[in-house]
Amino acid sequence: MKKLARIVLFIFLIIILLGTLFPLIWMFYSSLFPQTISLASLTDIFRQKFTFKNYAEVFSQIPFGKFLFNSVFVAVLVTLGNLLSCSLVGYAFARKSFPFKRSLFFSVILVLMIPVHILIIPLFILIKFLGWYDTYLALIVPWLVNPLGIFLMRQYIEVLPKDLEEAARLDGAGEFKILFSVVLPLSKPALAVVAIQVFLANWNSFLFPFILTSSENMRTLPVALALFQGYQTIDWPHLFAASGLATLPVLILFLFFQRQIVAGLTAGALKQ
Amino acid sequence: MKKIFPPTLLFLSPWLVTLTLFWLFPLFYSLYLSFTDYTILNPHPNLIGLKNYLTLFSDPDFLTALKNTSLFVFGTIPFTTIIALFLALIVNQKLPWKGFFRAGFFLPSITSMVVIALIFTNLYARDGYLTLLCSLLGVPTPEKGFLFSTATALPSIMLMDVWVSFGYYLLLYLAALQAIPTELYEAAEISGANFWQKFWHITLPYLRPMTLLIVLINTIRSFQIFIEIFVMTKGGPLNSTLTVVYLVYENGLVRFQMGYASAMAYVLFFIIMIFSLLQMKIFGLGKGIEE
Repeated sequence: MKKLARIVLFIFLIIILLGTLFPLIWMFYSSLFPQTISLASLTDIFRQKFTFKNYAEVFSQIPFGKFLFNSVFVAVLVTLGNLLSCSLVGYAFARKSFPFKRSLFFSVILVLMIPVHILIIPLFILIKFLGWYDTYLALIVPWLVNPLGIFLMRQYIEVLPKDLEEAARLDGAGEFKILFSVVLPLSKPALAVVAIQVFLANWNSFLFPFILTSSENMRTLPVALALFQGYQTIDWPHLFAASGLATLPVLILFLFFQRQIVAGLTAGALKQ
Repeated sequence: MKKIFPPTLLFLSPWLVTLTLFWLFPLFYSLYLSFTDYTILNPHPNLIGLKNYLTLFSDPDFLTALKNTSLFVFGTIPFTTIIALFLALIVNQKLPWKGFFRAGFFLPSITSMVVIALIFTNLYARDGYLTLLCSLLGVPTPEKGFLFSTATALPSIMLMDVWVSFGYYLLLYLAALQAIPTELYEAAEISGANFWQKFWHITLPYLRPMTLLIVLINTIRSFQIFIEIFVMTKGGPLNSTLTVVYLVYENGLVRFQMGYASAMAYVLFFIIMIFSLLQMKIFGLGKGIEE
């Protein structure tokens, strides 16, 4: 392609990228000022003084520490649970033969496509019935087996060479030992993709944590942020500081595990 | 060999339990509820046949919600898809910082929707950055801010949705573009094809299955729009941003009309199914997807 055309395209992409990132930059930027930035003119935003005070105040003025704990606790447990469950199920689908295998695997794919809004009412009633409403159990147990995770593990394990497993079997290793000491060590790349995919989805999850809890103590960060407006008139600097803190783990994962994130986002779609 | 079955069953059990308890049971239970008058005050529901479904279609709120949801779906998906395709084609050229662009574009799509909706609530406010920018450019802005005018609230949320989601579809298009064998382009160049001929006869046909998938995923997702509405407008002003899932939430979990809300959810469920099947039919359920 001609050099000029490439320069034009490059500049065009830069402009679009700035537009794409502007709202996120705006959030972090606004969180650094003591009051809501008053926009008498567009250049006013350059005149004020930076402060990190809002970030400290978020912890003292709202129970931010509790929300943060809830989010971390739930996301970590759900991620660990999925690593175990998706390994077990994915391994069975990749290596074992059993009755109804095809239809059972089809159910994994089908669940991936089901519009989840259909679960709002019945899951609410079920969780109430089980006595899990407004507890960690409601935030964790239903999400311990992610169909996308099963799918990713199955795809990965299926193409691993079988000789090591067979050698271990000849040595008298049991099924669990084969899975945990032969298959899973070879599946680390897939486990990383599953972990990051599940963690991100759970960290950002709003709908079900919102409808399955009621007390302030049980709120995860997205729920707390969405209900923050109810506290008073909107206090943007603090709300943005809290939102920024909630976004930080996503940014960190994004910086260090971009390859796994892309693999998770595309693999699910590509292979359906 | 006989020993293999019990461990296999054990391996499968997490999925069997989750599938039954948290997917199949809720699906059938809410289908049952949709034929009853269940409310939290009346825990012994009566079967009332199709009454909920019939009531729905004379419920002005539901019809408004259905109209708004359809506007949202059909007003965003074409733009999102075309923007994603257009930018994917550019990013796929031999430009510097390719990975950087790709990453920057999809960052919003892995950020919490609540956070995104909050940022845009701020930007769209009466004294928000976007409002100010518009008035500087001479574009008329609603007096109370974009989200408080019946004319601009839904379009503003639609614009935000295109902004937040195109990066994910761009990522999918890039993956599909990279799967096109380069030999095809080389052969076309040897026989003297120009840029448009290559695009029309090689690139577009190859992107067809991915386009179907993108439109399909986006349709299923968009029909269920809820978080943006809950955070930004609560369905207002004057129901101008009321959507079906928001109404399901309000009827089911605020007013506890669970039978009625289930019927509403099921109607949306069938609408989504019908559109998904139609799309598969129109685009042709290509062999490309099966492979």
